[in-house]
Amino acid sequence: MGLLSVLIFLPLVFGVLILVMPKRLNSYFKYLAVVVSLIQLAIATWMYFQFKTGDTFAGVNKLSQYQWIEKLDWIRLDVGSFGTLQIDYLLGVDGFSIGLVWLSALVMLIASLSSWEIKTNLRGYFALFLLLDTAIIGVFCSLDLFLFYIFYELMLLPLYFLIGMWGGVRREYAAIKFFLYTLFGSIFMLLVIAGLYLSVTDPATGNHTFSMVDAMNPANYSAGSIFSIAAHTQILGISARSLGFIIVFIAFAIKVPIFPFHTWLPDAHVEAPTPISIILAGILLKVGAYGIIRMAYGIFPDVAISLSWWMGLLGVISIIYGAMNALAQTDLKRLIAYSSISHMGFVLIGIASLTSEGLNGAMMQMISHGFLSVMLFFIAGVIYNRVHDRDIYNFRGLANHMPIFTGFVMIAFFASLGLPGFSAFIAEIFTLIGAFSSYNLNGLLPHWMAIVSAFGILLGAGYFLWTLQRMFFGTLRLKKEEWKVNLVDLNFREILVFTPLAALALILGVMPSLVFDVMSSSVNQFLMLFK
Amino acid sequence: MENLLSPYLLMCLAFVAITAPFLAFLLSLIFKKVAPAIGILSIGASFIASLFLFLAVWKKQTLHFSWHWVQLQHVKIDVGILLNDLTVIMLLMISLISLLVHIYSVEYMRKDVLKYRYFAYLSLFCFAMLGVVLADNLFILYAFWELVGFASYLLIGFWFTRDKAVQANKKAMIMNRIGDVGFLIGLMILLTQFHTLDLSVLFGPENLISSSFVKNGLWVSPFNTMPDYWLTIAGFCFFAGAIAKSAQFPLHTWLPDAMEGPTAVSSLIHAATMVAAGVFLLLRIVPLFNELVLTSMAIIGLFTAFMAATIALTQSNIKKVLAFSTISQLGFMILAVGVGDNAAAIFHLITHAFFKCLLFLTAGAVIHELHHLKEKHQLDFDEQNLDYMGGLRKFMPITGFVFLLAACALSGLPFTSGYLSKDAILISVFQYADVNGGIYWLFPLFISITSWLTTFYIFRVVFKVFFGKFRLSEKLSQKLEVHEASRWMTVPILILGIFCFGFFFAFNPFNLDSAWLYKGFNINQHNEGIYHLIVPLYINMLSIALIFTTYYVYAKKTININFQGTWFYKFSYNQWYFNSFYDVFLIKLFLVKTKIFYWFDQKVIDGIVHFLRDFALILSKISSWIDKYIIDGLVNGVAALVQRIGIWLRGTQNGKLQHYFIWMLFLFLSFMIYKIIL
Repeated sequence: MGLLSVLIFLPLVFGVLILVMPKRLNSYFKYLAVVVSLIQLAIATWMYFQFKTGDTFAGVNKLSQYQWIEKLDWIRLDVGSFGTLQIDYLLGVDGFSIGLVWLSALVMLIASLSSWEIKTNLRGYFALFLLLDTAIIGVFCSLDLFLFYIFYELMLLPLYFLIGMWGGVRREYAAIKFFLYTLFGSIFMLLVIAGLYLSVTDPATGNHTFSMVDAMNPANYSAGSIFSIAAHTQILGISARSLGFIIVFIAFAIKVPIFPFHTWLPDAHVEAPTPISIILAGILLKVGAYGIIRMAYGIFPDVAISLSWWMGLLGVISIIYGAMNALAQTDLKRLIAYSSISHMGFVLIGIASLTSEGLNGAMMQMISHGFLSVMLFFIAGVIYNRVHDRDIYNFRGLANHMPIFTGFVMIAFFASLGLPGFSAFIAEIFTLIGAFSSYNLNGLLPHWMAIVSAFGILLGAGYFLWTLQRMFFGTLRLKKEEWKVNLVDLNFREILVFTPLAALALILGVMPSLVFDVMSSSVNQFLMLFK
Repeated sequence: MENLLSPYLLMCLAFVAITAPFLAFLLSLIFKKVAPAIGILSIGASFIASLFLFLAVWKKQTLHFSWHWVQLQHVKIDVGILLNDLTVIMLLMISLISLLVHIYSVEYMRKDVLKYRYFAYLSLFCFAMLGVVLADNLFILYAFWELVGFASYLLIGFWFTRDKAVQANKKAMIMNRIGDVGFLIGLMILLTQFHTLDLSVLFGPENLISSSFVKNGLWVSPFNTMPDYWLTIAGFCFFAGAIAKSAQFPLHTWLPDAMEGPTAVSSLIHAATMVAAGVFLLLRIVPLFNELVLTSMAIIGLFTAFMAATIALTQSNIKKVLAFSTISQLGFMILAVGVGDNAAAIFHLITHAFFKCLLFLTAGAVIHELHHLKEKHQLDFDEQNLDYMGGLRKFMPITGFVFLLAACALSGLPFTSGYLSKDAILISVFQYADVNGGIYWLFPLFISITSWLTTFYIFRVVFKVFFGKFRLSEKLSQKLEVHEASRWMTVPILILGIFCFGFFFAFNPFNLDSAWLYKGFNINQHNEGIYHLIVPLYINMLSIALIFTTYYVYAKKTININFQGTWFYKFSYNQWYFNSFYDVFLIKLFLVKTKIFYWFDQKVIDGIVHFLRDFALILSKISSWIDKYIIDGLVNGVAALVQRIGIWLRGTQNGKLQHYFIWMLFLFLSFMIYKIIL
């Protein structure tokens, strides 16, 4: 049993443990969740620093270059004329996934600390929470499409219940919307996965295979198969590979979310309890972007190149559209949700540029947005928890009333709007540099896309500064008099949540090589797919 | 000196100069009680380091140190320090003025509860500003450039419970961000074209910029080729950054609002250093600009200088007058860059920094003392309003004298530093017009008018504040006394006062050729020609006449001019209505647009989702109906039929033999008929 399996199944074991523990111990569940997440984070951190870099450990389309590989024959079924059904339990990480695995471990720790505010039905909550944890790490580690899909769908189930049972007023609407939206995308993706299975053969065994890594190598496609590049199969007048790319892209675009597939996000965020918002923004959105890189771009590079103009356009629209919507909001959480759409747009335009700078920037943006969105949603949670209101107009002049909180709010807001010294600055500037230079390096994105995206940074300053001025500065004025008592400054646990996030955003802003060095060889290897 | 100080030592000094304020920022937040001392000590250390650097580098050498930072496929960015003439002179000016402002602030902020924060922010600002100056590449420069904006945001909104202050800092930050977007796009263009942002590689000797050229509509560099309009765009983008930072038209409206911050902050950030960063940036990258961009610069600079000067004429708030004066003077510098006299731009930048900082600090002293008066007597008046001042020279002789000195420097009167630097710009503008001819003569015309306006508005302040009678006392018909500011304030003011004298910058304060700072950047050019004689003469003749007029208008009140109520008074007083225009036509319109976007999101995008949901629901209803009435109806129908038949057939089993016979006969006949027919 390898380290990755431990990382994946540790929460599941503890989740089962929580289910069988007697009810009188239910006040200990939250500690248990924190302990699990701490162990997970410790393992992930150790792995991050042990992670070997360099061209011989690039990964991507070379299985041997992945690290901490685990390969078990899982399902072998003789299906007659179709050969042997081969499903592997195949795990491994490369430069693209290691950072996200680590981020997931961190965000889960923060979310478990934030879960202390959950008061009802603790057993169910924490069991589902830990199940979700397993699924998330599993998604980032699995290299077998079948396994990936299982983990991917497994995320939905706990999330549906976590939003639907512990959420806000319109929780059921939000939960169903979220569930159906995501399911809609992934059902069709399953067809593509089946098609890939039938097209790709494992060069070692000669069987059809679900291996993602094998699917990235054109040589492994059997001649005349549906997704074979040479076959030019047409479905409904569209080339099969284009269709495959588009379906996979939409499935993950819904997760990211990219305009116009984003409307589940504001609802889900507004209704979800704080820890679930944190997980949604911190990790789930990254699953989408990770999927786009690994599956849509990695498996269908030829289509990706031909559609990259459209990908870039969607990125630009997401950036501007998300920011414009954020500017129109008065609900703090909804504002942050729309800002997430804007920030994730940078990821897409970075990917679409297919340059080293753009992709590195996109990965950095994912990790950076991981910290910062968690901070932002936690900020909304701090206020909502105290007075059960989030309307920006109902608060004014909190700065003197809650000075420590305001300090962290300023860090989070300024880091998010791209102040130099914080990670988002590096991420956004590199994605833009990548997008801009793309025209001269590979001719994919026109110059204006980067230029228009740059205005997203300006709009970002608009809504964050407005919120800061409207809610935190000025003289203290609240909607109700008794809120003054309720709105106490941060407690120790909350400071404990904010501090590492702020510190990480700062560290990565000053030393971006901590992330770039780990992934740049994978990024370069990835770019070779498009040559 | 360069023998005494090895490059390594100089590197360490530069390192000290920049890290000391940063450490002070952190320490001030921890050791709150001694924050002022920490601030002063650290910036003092920076000043001493800067002094040594200046002595070792000025006119002697250029040093460049860099360390590896980020390396990607096409982009390599190092962190480093570039020490050349421009760096060290800026370094010296910034650290000296910062030091004096720190000392001044001890008294100015004495009663503020959050004083430690003030000093922490001030240190952060110094760190960022020194970073802008020292940065060896445009990426790092951009990072510090934004940090400067952030520190300014913190300091403008230092009194964050005041609504006006937090509105102002938001405005400043956003307007600066507009420029930053330009800067960023400029960076992307340069990086794509040259694959580096290193200043010495791009602009140093044997630089990349000069090895690139425009040919057949293409801009060719050793690495890349782009259409030539990108060169122009790049120039305009960087210029946009400078426009925002240096508060030039059309992004100038943040600076007057920024006066909501403490006056010491206004003097340091919004007069001497941060706003000069825009000009500094232009000077750093000046080889990049082509003719079109330079001409635009000259036009924007001229227009801003003129516009701001006309606004300054009528403002009643002392800080507003000085703010518009700053905008106007920055316009002079931008104009100088535009007409190609970089030496004059940097010279005026330095001299202006000293006398404008001084004007603000002395105004601050007046405001501070009036504020004391207000608190002591429980009065209610605006301590920044010129209408309540007057005759203060009797109470505050030192302040009054120094203000007068700085005002002379601003007007460019002989023996002052302003005489040298401003006239250098004027002369260049005349030469520029002479070379180009025709419509270009508008430049000297308007800049001369602006110059006279400058004299008028600043002496209006001088006479309204320090001469005549104390109007507050008259208005309240109460005998009030103001005191001279404390030593903490007067000493920095006096030190700054020294730098207003022309002697400091030139042996012969009438000759530009002897101005070391000007010559330092202007080695080849000989400062001769008819304009060097005529321009200072005719500008100053009229200036002096104007001063006398102003004296009789505002101090003696023997000449009474009343413009109030005329349209141009209102136009000037309302600052050319820029704020109202932006509010109505840009901000309101923009907010409406955001609402439209949200409406679109809610009604159209989510509408489609809801429509799909409703569509699916209706489909499911239809299919359920079909299932219930057609599919299930069919099944039930078959069952019912069978049942009916069964019931009917059951009726035949009645045990009557005759019936059975008839059935048998019927069946037999049917069978026979069937057989026969077929």
